[in-house]
Amino acid sequence: MKKRISIFLVATVSLLVVLLDACKKGDAVTGVPGKVTTPLKLIIPAGWPQPSTDIFAGNPLTEEGFQLGRKLFYDGRLSKDGNFPCASCHQQFAAFATYDHQFSHGFNNTFTTRNAPAIFNLAWMKEMHWDGGINHIEVQPLAPITNQNEMAESMINVLLKLKPDTAYARLFTSAFGDATINSQRMLKALAQYMGSIQSYNSKYDQVKRGEAAFTVSEQNGYTTFKAKCNSCHTEPLFTDNSFRNNGLAVDPFLKDVGRMGITGNPSDSLKFKVPTLRNVELTFPYMHDGRAFSLSQVIDHYRSFIHTEQATIDPLLKNKLLISDQEKVDLANFLRSLTDKELLKDPRFAQPL
Amino acid sequence: MQTRFYLLVFAIVLLSGCQKTLETDSGNVAVKLTNMLGDGPITLESKTYINAVAEPYTVSKLRYYITNVRLIGTSSAAEAESYHLIDAEKPESLQFSFTAPSATFNSIEFLLGVDSTRNVSGAQTGALDPLNDMFWTWNSGYVMLKIEGNSPVSPVAGKKFEYHLGGFSGPNNVLKKIQLPFPAGKLASIQKGKTCEISIMANLDKLWAGPNALSIAATPVCTTPGAQALKIADNYQHMFTLSDVVNNK
Ligand code: HEC
Ligand code: HEC
Repeated sequence: MKKRISIFLVATVSLLVVLLDACKKGDAVTGVPGKVTTPLKLIIPAGWPQPSTDIFAGNPLTEEGFQLGRKLFYDGRLSKDGNFPCASCHQQFAAFATYDHQFSHGFNNTFTTRNAPAIFNLAWMKEMHWDGGINHIEVQPLAPITNQNEMAESMINVLLKLKPDTAYARLFTSAFGDATINSQRMLKALAQYMGSIQSYNSKYDQVKRGEAAFTVSEQNGYTTFKAKCNSCHTEPLFTDNSFRNNGLAVDPFLKDVGRMGITGNPSDSLKFKVPTLRNVELTFPYMHDGRAFSLSQVIDHYRSFIHTEQATIDPLLKNKLLISDQEKVDLANFLRSLTDKELLKDPRFAQPL
Repeated sequence: MQTRFYLLVFAIVLLSGCQKTLETDSGNVAVKLTNMLGDGPITLESKTYINAVAEPYTVSKLRYYITNVRLIGTSSAAEAESYHLIDAEKPESLQFSFTAPSATFNSIEFLLGVDSTRNVSGAQTGALDPLNDMFWTWNSGYVMLKIEGNSPVSPVAGKKFEYHLGGFSGPNNVLKKIQLPFPAGKLASIQKGKTCEISIMANLDKLWAGPNALSIAATPVCTTPGAQALKIADNYQHMFTLSDVVNNK
């Protein structure tokens, strides 16, 4: 008798577990019964901090979502005349910056008014754009898509162009469970692709992992870097994601006030987001308006040309930075060790066939 | 044998808990809005109005968000996923309804604007879809109230005026919590299977008057969060009045 009761107990409990589980299913954000998505995970390299926010909260990262986002990123139909996909300004071989362009080309012979930043390690970035105006990775694409000097399109038109395409119907179905194409799904897919682009395999990283060794010059450059640059371009992301004024002269035509344009706070005048220096060898020209064409020019800025008289100049740069000619050469060599060749060629991020 | 019976009862209880909407005693709440301007309901484009500083103008567009709607009594009843875009061009947007537990309530409360959480939570859908053209792309966040039109006194191209009012954080927060008490004889009484109809008027004349008189000639455009948007929001926060409560419809 005892044994029968316990068998019955086990059976009932397992039935309950199954049934209760079944009634939870309706809450799943993606996936319909029978259609399984393949979960992906963001890699958190050893020694890195945890991302400060979960960019995939409410947007579970899957292979299917990633592939949809990848197609969208390379699709010219997101722009008015078909010529300006995201990838026209964010080129993989330039670590997803615009190679060798102070400003990027936009619709109808226009130019952007800021230098296109590289795109990687976005999970560690709280606010996007040079002025931090974008507060979430999912809403970022709305800016370039609708800007007249970028893609110059409306979201309504983008969706109208994508809806008749059966390839998209298939991709949206496998990513989100049905063929509904709407702005939220499109933006979430783009976030999955962009958020998955990660850079952590430069020579610097290999040295840190004990797989390679710096040259003497790189090692000396690293020492200088840690003394002069690391408090803003902080390892391992090579940015502390803060907004600071590093003392560039104000461009009389652009008159870009940076962060103040977002907060309205005069103490934010001329502050820009500290950019990462990973892959900096490829992201020239430099600074928010692409005014510096070489690492040599950048270092000369910090040595000699900082506008220390500006009211909001960063306290760390008030006295300019003392860097000798030898240190300058070594520093540039160290910065080149931050190039992640794997990322530049990784077929996962390339234009889909 | 008894054990078996108890287990069965236990299973039934657990499984019924799984049904999402437990059959509680609840009724329907229907909220109806009327946008008022001048001497009656607002007319877009064709009718000329006069603002508090005697400037003539017409209105071409009026949209605002009403969110986080709740009835307050001894307990409170909140509408789930409560986001409504009121659009003067879309009559169907002027009405919405939700279910509330049977009880008597003293007031209705809502936010004029989109709560800060949804301003920072990525791509939204429904009333909050960026397709509704109420989301700033260069400075993430919702426009809480948008009114556009024309006036001969406007100094900008096309004689337009354009107020896109938003800002959800820190000193730039224009969100306004609106609480409208029901008059003593007209408490909202939610009853099983019945609809309680709550009618609210939004008097847009308040936009121009109040603590900070607004002039189209002086300020034809305000499309960024900041001091000017705050001033206008301080005016329009007083635009709502309760016009009627009808129980048992
Ligand atoms: C015409 C060139 C151009 C196109 C097309 C373009 N971008 Fe950009 N992108 C830029 C520029 C310039 C910036 C910097 C904007 C700023 O700071 O104001 C930028 C910034 C970004 C950033 C923020 C990076 C950071 O470090 O803050 C992301 C992410 C991004 N773009 C993704 C995209 C996506 C996704 C698309 C397609 C939907 C796209 N871009 C299309 C030029 C472009
Ligand atoms: C006080 C903080 C601070 C310090 C210290 C600092 N930087 Fe910067 N750096 C910035 C900011 C802010 C920017 C962006 C400025 C802008 O575009 O307006 C920047 C931009 C750069 C860029 C341009 C990157 C790009 O992709 O456009 C490079 C390269 C750079 N810094 C290198 C260095 C080096 C090398 C050092 C040390 C010698 C250094 N920085 C020290 C704050 C700092």
